[in-house]
Amino acid sequence: MLSSILLIPVFTLLIIIFTPNRAVKFVRAICVLSGFFTLVLSLQLWMGYDPIRGGIQFEELIPWVPALGISYHLGVDGFSTILVMLNSIVYFTGVLTMWDLEKRVKEYFAFMVLLVIGVYGVFMSLDIFFLFFFYEIAVVPMYPLIIIWGSGNKEYAGMKLMLFLLAGSALLFPGLLAIYHASGLNTFDIVALSKHAFDPEFQIFVYPFIYAGFGVLAGMFPFHGWSPTGHVAAPSAVSMLHAGVLMKLGAFGILTVGMRLLPEGAVYWAPTFCTLAATGVIYGAFVAIRQSDFKFVIGFSSVSHMGIVLLGLNLAVLGQAGIEALNGAVFQMFAHGIMTALFFSTVGYIYDRAHSKTIADFGGLGSQMPRAVSIFIVAGLCGAGLPGLASFWPEMLVFLAALKTYPIVGAVIIVGLVLTAVYILRVFNLAFFGPPNERWNNLKSLDLSGLHILPRAILVAVLVFFGFIPRVMLDLINSTTEAFLGRF
Amino acid sequence: MDTLSLLLLTTFTPLFAFLIALIFLLQQPRAAQTVVLLGSVVSLFASIVLFLQGPTEPLRFLWFSSGNIQLQFGFILDGPSLMFGMVVALITGCIMVYSTGYMAHDPDKTRYFSMLSLFAWSMLSFVYAVDLLQAFIFWELVGLASFFLIGFWYEKPSAANAARKAFLMTRVGDVGLFIGVLLILQATGIFDIPALLNPQTGLSTQVSPHTLTWITLLIFVGIMGKSAQFPLHTWLPDAMEGPTPVSALLHSATMVAAGVFLMIRLHPLFMAAETTPVVILTISTFTAILASTIAMVDTDIKKVLAYSSISQLGFMLIGLAAGSLFAGVFHLITHAIFKALLFLCSGIYIHAYETNDMATIGRKGGRNLKATTTGLVIGGAALAGIPPLAGFFSKEEIFAQLGHNGFNIYMAGAFFAAFLTAYYTFRMIFLIVKPDRHEESHDHHHGPLEPLNMKGPVMLLTIGALITGFFGGQIAHMLNIHAEHHALLDMLPAIAVVAIGVFVAYLDYGRSQAQRTGFISNIGALNTLFVNRWYIDSFYNAVIVRLTLAIAALMHWFETHGLDGNFDRLGLNILRTGTQSTRVQNGLMQLYLAWTIIILGIVALYIGMA
Repeated sequence: MLSSILLIPVFTLLIIIFTPNRAVKFVRAICVLSGFFTLVLSLQLWMGYDPIRGGIQFEELIPWVPALGISYHLGVDGFSTILVMLNSIVYFTGVLTMWDLEKRVKEYFAFMVLLVIGVYGVFMSLDIFFLFFFYEIAVVPMYPLIIIWGSGNKEYAGMKLMLFLLAGSALLFPGLLAIYHASGLNTFDIVALSKHAFDPEFQIFVYPFIYAGFGVLAGMFPFHGWSPTGHVAAPSAVSMLHAGVLMKLGAFGILTVGMRLLPEGAVYWAPTFCTLAATGVIYGAFVAIRQSDFKFVIGFSSVSHMGIVLLGLNLAVLGQAGIEALNGAVFQMFAHGIMTALFFSTVGYIYDRAHSKTIADFGGLGSQMPRAVSIFIVAGLCGAGLPGLASFWPEMLVFLAALKTYPIVGAVIIVGLVLTAVYILRVFNLAFFGPPNERWNNLKSLDLSGLHILPRAILVAVLVFFGFIPRVMLDLINSTTEAFLGRF
Repeated sequence: MDTLSLLLLTTFTPLFAFLIALIFLLQQPRAAQTVVLLGSVVSLFASIVLFLQGPTEPLRFLWFSSGNIQLQFGFILDGPSLMFGMVVALITGCIMVYSTGYMAHDPDKTRYFSMLSLFAWSMLSFVYAVDLLQAFIFWELVGLASFFLIGFWYEKPSAANAARKAFLMTRVGDVGLFIGVLLILQATGIFDIPALLNPQTGLSTQVSPHTLTWITLLIFVGIMGKSAQFPLHTWLPDAMEGPTPVSALLHSATMVAAGVFLMIRLHPLFMAAETTPVVILTISTFTAILASTIAMVDTDIKKVLAYSSISQLGFMLIGLAAGSLFAGVFHLITHAIFKALLFLCSGIYIHAYETNDMATIGRKGGRNLKATTTGLVIGGAALAGIPPLAGFFSKEEIFAQLGHNGFNIYMAGAFFAAFLTAYYTFRMIFLIVKPDRHEESHDHHHGPLEPLNMKGPVMLLTIGALITGFFGGQIAHMLNIHAEHHALLDMLPAIAVVAIGVFVAYLDYGRSQAQRTGFISNIGALNTLFVNRWYIDSFYNAVIVRLTLAIAALMHWFETHGLDGNFDRLGLNILRTGTQSTRVQNGLMQLYLAWTIIILGIVALYIGMA
């Protein structure tokens, strides 16, 4: 099962590579097909995962380099099942979003599929070596994707993103090797390592490397600078994957390597990282109020919303309301992923037609592109934590845990809800409401239609579905949460 | 039909109407209008049948569970929800019929009607909600629907700004409410409203009095936002930017009523808390007076009605905080009916004469619209509290309760507010009915000024405003409270206050040689204060908005110059170091040789020394 989800994009990549440049339609078709099939398989995975049994399921184990203890070991728990689903949704809708691309189509989709392979790999790997390998596969294609197909100050953005993420990897690599050596088990297997009790002092020393190393990718304050710049420069489907899925790799890494293997280190550092995460929530929201570019607003909103994920992860280990916090954090990864994908796919659509993403350039766009604007509004309301859309539940769970653990922190981040509403409504009022700007009258005939509606409609439907029926998600997450928190 | 299907018909028909209209009928406004109206009628009938069946046990279904939290989805069927649910459905129905006339020529009718339907769904679901979090969710959706409706004409910047202001201000209140709700969950682990209210095992027995005070105060912050109490009231007058039927809906049975209804729902908790009732009394009495003073100088008919809503909501909260559930419910219901009526009347005037200015409406011949003017007078009389109309009895309950519990200062405040209410209401009536001079109205309208689909709802609500005052006993019975009959003598002060108010209004505006300036204009300072709305909005703009923007600017500066700037500088410095170090490799063999000799020499020296 898992290998097939992983191998579909691998074969897609091979097919694309051996396709002639001019067979653009074929490349697109093959990508949509592969996105569709992985989506169907992910759905099957979701259905097939038994939440009552919980734990790691669908395991596949092939020894790879026995001498070093490296094995091809795949498996998913409740957390990774929903993240695999997230990746499939964003992959499928991302391909559809880039349907109109005309510039170097073959290379574009090749890099994008490579990125997707890396993400699947990270979510499924139970072997640190493969996890890191896939992690780098996922990160590296960002560079060409931004500097070739991006816009604006793209060389700078691409370079900055690459340097930040590689710096994160540089922290991560020694940390991972230290874990490998300190265990003395001669294995990279996460399941085996998680049974080993590391020396508490070692854990306290190594945990910050792992946390910060993965944290950079999760947009952790204060190492978030690459993310808004990167979002702005990247083409829309890349921003979708980048904010929607790639940032989740960081949070997932913290969860599956940091917290799973080094529980005492996690507990020791949790108050510090809680403070940083809560600062990020408020800071990101405030900075977003001041932005003049659509994508910068969304970029900083991601910093703010990923702060909630990181806060939830750290609150989880502190005990008072661990289950709520961890459920909230994982749910938020999913909800935020879908929400930002929706944001970027819509902003990208408007940008591709108007060639501007400066908020002040617009005004009254609501009457010129009612459908595109409505969809942006749905995403915005989701960001503002409105009930009825998916983000409400995870935010509520994390707030609850925060109030229980650190009442002041809890109260402060709930105030962040107002700040979110401030920057979202500011965008609405400046760009969408008010008298229509005649400069954009040509956009009237270019509103979302036909095939362009499909990916956005899928994302909206997912947000609404989980907004009203969060049970489907929470049952799955909960199956893993309790066992996961058992060791704390 | 069983209770569950009736409930689903009441609450979910508007949702389906909303979905059908928005998804399938975007290009067919007439069809959308019909679907929404049908949904509303079904919902109204189902709510009436529910009401006739009388109170029964709540229905509960598990929604989801996470950790220790169990969330239910269910319906509560006690007196308040059955009565108010019916009122909501009734008024929504009236307003939808009225809108078919008022919005007849709007190109975006589908959006309008579907949003009305969304509004009805959220409000009805809020009223029947059995679970506190469920109630919170629909409370937020009520706010969302009013955001869309206030900003319906979003191309007008003022409308867009009003919608934003309404959303943000109620959101500030919601932060308090949300924290309060989460604290309740933390203390008890449940959200079930009947269980929380249980006097033996409920919330008040599980937490310390101190905590209970905090929780109720936080919930009250949410109520302040929604029901527009000082200092979170300034969004409500601005919300007049929406179409007038929307204002009618917003101010009577939905949105602002949600705050009061939440207090009715959780009334025992508020009563069990120590200082909370006094805090609420203070804020609401102050709000009632504040809003009345502004209403007595404003010239825009919708603004006058808006401030009067704020003031009347204050009255409801006063009654509730003074300890009388009955007074609050009674005034909520009567106010819903006569305020909806007044707004619909004002809508007809605005529609006919295209102005909001009361004096102009009067001059252009407002009183010639017979049904509307009858509605305005009767609704106004009910608002002013003239016996035996709706508002009189419900206000009398509030005074009686205040007197009964010895809240004398607050009673004085409430009497003063009641005097002002009678004054500004009759000021409005006199300005329209007895204009200073009569202009020939240039009738450039094609249709009748009072089309049947607008007149009908007005007449229906006029009858409602005439008779609801007599149903106090039945309402008390639904609440399981025995309503006391007040002797005529006890009612005299209330009657006197109203009479003085009407009389002063008559002197100022009604008699034939009246000056048509309020008595307050003799006191310049107060007049300026009232005309400028006590400078509250100016204060918010000058301080809070600027402060937020300043913090945002500071953070932005820190991001670009401090945090991100330093990372950039780090990167650029590394680049520069790299560039400079390449100069060492300049291709001159002699220099390389010299370096080799020097380095070898140092090494040799070092070895030799050792």
